[in-house]
Amino acid sequence: MAKNNFWSPYIAGAGLGLTLLATFYLAGWGLGASSAFSLLASLGVKEIHPDFALQLTYFSQYLHVESPLRNWVLFEVCGLFLGAFSAALFSGNFRFQFDRGSGMGRVTRLIAAVSGGIMIGFASRLARGCTSGVALSGGAQLAIGGWIFVIAMFVSGFAVAALFRRLWT
Amino acid sequence: MTGPVVASQEMGLVLAVVLGFFFGLFLERGGLGNPHKLTGVFFLTDFVVPKVMFTAILVASVGFYLVSDLKLLDLNRVWIVPTFFWPQIAGGALFGIGFVVSGYCPGTAVAGLASGRLDALVTMIGIGIGSLIFAVVYPVLEDFYQSSPMGAATIPGITGVSHWVVLAVLFIIAGLMFFLMEHFGRKAA
Repeated sequence: MAKNNFWSPYIAGAGLGLTLLATFYLAGWGLGASSAFSLLASLGVKEIHPDFALQLTYFSQYLHVESPLRNWVLFEVCGLFLGAFSAALFSGNFRFQFDRGSGMGRVTRLIAAVSGGIMIGFASRLARGCTSGVALSGGAQLAIGGWIFVIAMFVSGFAVAALFRRLWT
Repeated sequence: MTGPVVASQEMGLVLAVVLGFFFGLFLERGGLGNPHKLTGVFFLTDFVVPKVMFTAILVASVGFYLVSDLKLLDLNRVWIVPTFFWPQIAGGALFGIGFVVSGYCPGTAVAGLASGRLDALVTMIGIGIGSLIFAVVYPVLEDFYQSSPMGAATIPGITGVSHWVVLAVLFIIAGLMFFLMEHFGRKAA
């Protein structure tokens, strides 16, 4: 379980907000995350089965560029990892573990982690981004897309929470 | 200097790592690398997700509209998150289920792995698989994916209300929400 040495959520949120503001001002767009996974998936498929990858029109946006790895969101996500790693390390919060709810076995956790991930990956492509690129960045711009995504996410999460309560509590 | 200021791709990529670093640092320090805290809101046991998220949105939003009102940021050169109404409703709804089931979202899964959580790595692999599945079924979904486009629509733009009025309303709603969360949070603890 978590050691409770986290910062106040309002302080962390303000820091996150200032980071997002700096991103708008410096780069001219917001923060993202999910498209890095989509990019890596397209490159992975291209390694294993190039013909199949080239048939996928949706992936052509990543594969038909000169150097696909020189991607802004991919670099940002690498920074995200380093920032979170430093924070966890220096706060004594880093610990190798297979984190799961108290009522969850290891196999259940494995299935939940991968199937939830698949839904998130698919949903992020359909919504043109995730909690970072659409909810946070779009929300701060007061974009309609950002707010309808946030509302749909919380409504649906609460609607199904009872079904998955035993996983996490 | 009027933003956006990034001139070259090299500078942009260096900046991406630096901004990402702070993104990850604040996520982890807020407790958002921890799936128990991340799912807490849905079981009304821990409200850290909406607290961090709405604080971040409000801080960034006030700053965003302030610097653009002060002509320090040229909104014509800023990429506004595009709206596709029904795909984003459907995507948000599916995303919410995946969030409860896995305990992560893409950015927080990276923060989870960075704090040593191998289950977060499994979720990250799932996110890659989900993206691939989307790419495979894309020809069937394309019509829906491109449907109900609204371009760079914003709440002030659509309603014709000043962005400061919209922000004032959001501050009141968020303040009320934070008050209730603190109240319920104390009860739950």
